[in-house]
Amino acid sequence: MAKEVVIDSLGEACPVPLVKAQNAIKEMEVGDVLILQIDHSCAMKNVPEWARKDGHNVEVEEVDDGEWEVIIEKC
Amino acid sequence: MAEEKFFNRVRENQFYKKWFKSAFTYVTGAVLLSVLQVATLASTGNPWGVSGVFANWGAWIYEAFGGSVDKWYYFSSEGAQRVLDAGIMNHPGSWRNIGIIFGALFATLMASQFKIKKIKNKKQVVAAILGGLLMGYGARIAYGCNIGALYSGITSLSLSGWVFAVGMFGGAVVGSKLLVKYFM
Repeated sequence: MAKEVVIDSLGEACPVPLVKAQNAIKEMEVGDVLILQIDHSCAMKNVPEWARKDGHNVEVEEVDDGEWEVIIEKC
Repeated sequence: MAEEKFFNRVRENQFYKKWFKSAFTYVTGAVLLSVLQVATLASTGNPWGVSGVFANWGAWIYEAFGGSVDKWYYFSSEGAQRVLDAGIMNHPGSWRNIGIIFGALFATLMASQFKIKKIKNKKQVVAAILGGLLMGYGARIAYGCNIGALYSGITSLSLSGWVFAVGMFGGAVVGSKLLVKYFM
């Protein structure tokens, strides 16, 4: 059964969300899903950029005004 | 409602998406900055700077409470005194910084991404105050920040901009290590 990890990174500026995501992915198994909650628009750019380069599946969802969820499936 | 319909249509409009919703590419940003900083230099006679303005704001606030910075080394030059005497209304840098603040607000409102962010913990407060003080102090004793000293230095083909770049890169490496160690 795939695990789902949620990280609340709301109110945190770059590069904190990115480093948190990188650390979390390291601890996860292939197929696990990380949901990173952010409200710093530059994290919407650098987190997916890193995750795609690292070879994971990435999706960004705008959940509210100025609030996003970056969903990363470890591959 | 008609209003709601209108905004739903705007949201799907390709020009709205391109100009207001999605971020510009780094190249677009770089070209715009370059063109506008040339306009700044041409119209004001000074290269683009940001943080020096805050020192003037501080001096004006201090003077408003009856203080005097005439004897301060930083403001001792004739040019600095002239700028202070002319006041904020005649200071291009002040208008530019106010423009940056309202421009950023306008951009985030147009993209409907405005949000008042919560303070997460005390650590964040301490880091923000400490970081702000160090950046402000550093920028003043270096006579410029990453805009005035680095960006405007390099674009004026001045060696000082490159020297600043080397120092800033080293500082950023050390700062990032500290951030990961104490802030994660």
